[in-house]
Amino acid sequence: MASLMALSMTVAGCAEVQRAAEDVARQSGNPRLAGAIHGVGNVVGSLFPIGYEEESSIGQAIALQVVARYGGVVDQPELVRYVNLVGRAVANTSDRPDIPYRVAILDHESINAFAAPAGYIFVTRGLLRQIKNEAELAAVLGHEIAHVSEKHILDVIQRSKRLAGVTEAGLSYATSNPAAFKGVIDGAVKKLLDEGLDQEKETDADTVGEVFAARVGYDAEAYVGLLMRLRDLKGDDRALFKTHPNFSARIEAVQKTIRTKRLVSNGLVLQERFSRMTKRV
Amino acid sequence: MIPPRSFWIPLIALWIGLFVWGTEAWADTVYVQAKTAQLRAGKTSLDAVVGNVKFGDALEVVGRDGSWMEVKTSAGARGWIFANKTSTSKPSGGNDTLARLGQSMRGGDASATTASAGARGLDKASEGYANRAGVSARDREVVDRMTAYQIPDQDVEEFMREGGLGEYAK
Repeated sequence: MASLMALSMTVAGCAEVQRAAEDVARQSGNPRLAGAIHGVGNVVGSLFPIGYEEESSIGQAIALQVVARYGGVVDQPELVRYVNLVGRAVANTSDRPDIPYRVAILDHESINAFAAPAGYIFVTRGLLRQIKNEAELAAVLGHEIAHVSEKHILDVIQRSKRLAGVTEAGLSYATSNPAAFKGVIDGAVKKLLDEGLDQEKETDADTVGEVFAARVGYDAEAYVGLLMRLRDLKGDDRALFKTHPNFSARIEAVQKTIRTKRLVSNGLVLQERFSRMTKRV
Repeated sequence: MIPPRSFWIPLIALWIGLFVWGTEAWADTVYVQAKTAQLRAGKTSLDAVVGNVKFGDALEVVGRDGSWMEVKTSAGARGWIFANKTSTSKPSGGNDTLARLGQSMRGGDASATTASAGARGLDKASEGYANRAGVSARDREVVDRMTAYQIPDQDVEEFMREGGLGEYAK
């Protein structure tokens, strides 16, 4: 901890020195030197994680594309409020409860769910129709909240940035190089909506999300039942597997989590409340 | 026949030792793992609220009983908290020191989001993205409303109480 604090203080000091050096170079009529000093700052800064303010910009931009690609959202205030209440109940005792989470229902018949950074969560109308009770909904939302808390999309962005040799991110992109910012967002959207995240990240979100839902008291076995029904889907509904493959391995991982973490398998299901609130889906 | 003093003294010493060790063993520290949490006078959700704690607060564990923990805050307040709202490791949260330093080094225009974070409206960066990507006014309005969407914490508590979730388990 002491070494981390020392490093923080050193880097904070460097940031001040960097800015002062940039100013001196600019005032002495050497903009190229000022630019080079700024570039060094960007390179060092790119080694650090993305903070919430930058994450929020990225999350909003990705959310814009998700809404555009899926043709808008369901405008049923009672239903939207219910889904958000379940999400908040799960998020409040997640590993990252200190950021706002909002859930929107995409007005689309396909079966899927997505999470963008900074707590933007989407569930399709088609997936809501497959869900039978509140415990299953809580597990789905727990999975998406886990993608946010584990910063899975941000990780993809950081990696793609490094591969492309890009050193800036977030707001510095958006203001100094909007074309590059657009490239990063478009790449993340492609990964999220077309290719799907790595299997490792999906399994991680399953197990972490299952723990989040169980902490609130939802039945841990409910998610297994939903995953089994989704695995057995036929026809067009199988489009889900493009972004979420290998359900059998996921079911096995969730069952292992229930056993090893001793999650409650006779928890709450709340089928009646779910049916009442979602009858107009 | 009463046992000799040499029998009792080690026994009492052992008893005192076990008592002290036991007290020390409970003196663990846990951290609030929920956005907010309430300290109650007893170990049920029906007991009166005696204090409020927030995400990341350190609590000294005084005792445990089932799903509840008796804790003491750094200010000396004492009460019971639902154990699932705590963690044994200090949560890092969403915006740690290293992330803030990184943004500072990258020279990000923090003012572009500071004002709008959590408030209504797309921020400057995503607005710029929407213009470049040709996102429609309708879709911008959807994300705008989504960003501004809020449910008060007390409504979430009421929802959990109705369902018997968390500390309201029946």
